[in-house]
Amino acid sequence: MPAVETSDLGKEYGDVVALEGLDLTVERGELYGLLGPNGSGKTTTIEILTGQRTPTSGAATVLGIDPVADPVDVRREIGILPEREDPPSFLTPREYLEFVGEIRDIGAIDERIDRWAGKLDFRGILDTLSADLSEGERQRVMLAQVFIHEPELAFIDEPLVNLDPLMQAEVKDQLVAYCEAGNTLFLSTHFVEVAEQLCTEIGIIADGELVAERDPQHLEEGLLATFEESVGGAEEPVEVSGQ
Amino acid sequence: MNTLRRMLVEEFRLHTELFGRSRFLLFPLFVTAVAAGGIWLLELTGSSPATIVAGIFGLVFFFGLQVGTLGLVGRDAMRDVLGDVTLLVFSARTLPVSRRYLLGVFILKDILYYAVFFLTPIVVGFLPLVIGGEFALSQIPLLWLTVAATFALGAGTSLAAAGVGTRSRLALLAAVTAVVAGTVLEPELAIAVTPYALYGEPTPATAVLNALVLVSVLVAGPLLFEPTTNDSRRRTDADRYRQLRRLGDSYTTRTLLEVSRSSGSVWKVAFSLGILFAVGALLLDRLAVATALDPSAGVAFGTLLGLGTFTTYNWVTQVDSPREHLRFPADFGELYRGKLRAFLVLAMPVGTGYLGVASLWYPPGELLLGLVVFPLVSLYVFGLTAFLTGLSPNELLFDTPRFAVYGAGLAALGVPLLVAALAYGTAPRQSAGIAVGLSAVAAIVGVVLVSRTGNRWQTRLRGD
Repeated sequence: MPAVETSDLGKEYGDVVALEGLDLTVERGELYGLLGPNGSGKTTTIEILTGQRTPTSGAATVLGIDPVADPVDVRREIGILPEREDPPSFLTPREYLEFVGEIRDIGAIDERIDRWAGKLDFRGILDTLSADLSEGERQRVMLAQVFIHEPELAFIDEPLVNLDPLMQAEVKDQLVAYCEAGNTLFLSTHFVEVAEQLCTEIGIIADGELVAERDPQHLEEGLLATFEESVGGAEEPVEVSGQ
Repeated sequence: MNTLRRMLVEEFRLHTELFGRSRFLLFPLFVTAVAAGGIWLLELTGSSPATIVAGIFGLVFFFGLQVGTLGLVGRDAMRDVLGDVTLLVFSARTLPVSRRYLLGVFILKDILYYAVFFLTPIVVGFLPLVIGGEFALSQIPLLWLTVAATFALGAGTSLAAAGVGTRSRLALLAAVTAVVAGTVLEPELAIAVTPYALYGEPTPATAVLNALVLVSVLVAGPLLFEPTTNDSRRRTDADRYRQLRRLGDSYTTRTLLEVSRSSGSVWKVAFSLGILFAVGALLLDRLAVATALDPSAGVAFGTLLGLGTFTTYNWVTQVDSPREHLRFPADFGELYRGKLRAFLVLAMPVGTGYLGVASLWYPPGELLLGLVVFPLVSLYVFGLTAFLTGLSPNELLFDTPRFAVYGAGLAALGVPLLVAALAYGTAPRQSAGIAVGLSAVAAIVGVVLVSRTGNRWQTRLRGD
């Protein structure tokens, strides 16, 4: 059974078609990257697959669970990191992770907090109010809440945003190790470089449609060409803003 | 002037973006209709135009204080309330203008904006009395001017309090104590410096005195305000979550921590309800002077404080991002039950405390009814507010259809309860029975609404 499977998935916001006829299969253990410019449908796809939105058409399964019919069951099994989301301003990282631990009903929370704070290097700010943390520190706390319950599958929207180069390298290693342990990662990004370096499979999405799927280890040139074509021919497509 | 104009345009676009152009533009018409209907009804039931005017001044002052209270919660919470929106008032870091100047223009913008969209419709609501010959048309301009000034005084007062609070909490406590003590001990003097006095006695001397007080208050806020972002210290705290968690569930604990650690801490709950309590006390006092009625202070205070807990709902949801909760493997019903517990933990002691304060000048036995009515009305208000607004009660204002339903929902309970309070002098037993019975039924409605709120908003958010 694949980790993620969609069939003819679609979403409309009034007159705007955000996603159209998406057929996708992500096998277990894969580090799948959904690559596309801003507004191409990446976030909508993740929101539907994590039970945060209902699709207008089509069907999906995540770890064999229907996210439309059983959103809470899906969320229990997975980890989620949306783009531009911070930990609650008036809780410390320790308190926030305790809160997450309780909502997820997981044990040994102190040990888990200590382990992930160590891995992501934020032990020193565990008792600082999140409002007073830097953006990079907040992102590390948010990454910890994705993995603290050790899910089989995690969805991450722009994983490296706001991190300094050293921490970016550290997080990349963590993500690869996570998948090598048999878990599945579904990334969304508009950075071609990130997708190339991390992913085992890449889907290119533009205007709500999946335009290509590639193995980045073997098809870098083809990938870039397809991506440039999908976003209208950027000359230096390291980061694509979609503008 | 250019900044003011741009801020006005920005505010207009913000509201039309939030609620849709036509829904927003309907709002002044709706307020006019409600004000005209309410004033006409009050006049029909024997209230004199002078009493109605006094009530309008009290309510507008309360509204001004409430709008200005946003300053109390600081820039961080303001950003939370407005989400991704970035306003010109926050641009002092990037533009060569001072923060004080921007805050001053921001206040001026608020006064002009609310004067047009909220206060003018209220004053136009006096037209039925003008047509009926109960109110002189020539009084309308003076009424508009003084009502707008009253709003400015209210907003300026709470922003000035916020400004003092950013410097020293002790100074804020001293200032609030001094103002409250002055108002209680010398109410005539306190009223003399408000625009209400100018309305009653439009002489040059009163106008000069009023203008001096108003300008001083309006200037004090921007001059004294020090935003929290200038504080480079990193605040740390022990694990309060675990300590508080022993007393309640996860959502209750988190909400209580957020309220207590955000600017104004739990005191903002007492402040908001205190404003309403003071306005209620003033109205009851005026009513006793102007009419032969002997209202039930218990039912009146219980009702007003209970209705006023919509401000507490605002505080317990002020930093919530509804979509964040969609990421957790928990039903939204749990979230709202947690919010309700936090709401009760914060509002009940405060409301009970104010009823205790009222016992200083009303017979304690008479206030016992308030102890029954207040929590029941609060439950109803929580249920109604949660059901209609979810975790975004701030978006209620200016969303005309929702505001109309919300207003009707509050009036459906508030009006009969206040009538019961007024009738207490002539039929105490029946009035008390009706008040308790109505409140109990309303509380049940509130509980039912809470039980449906989670599913309603979860479905809405997922479908958006």
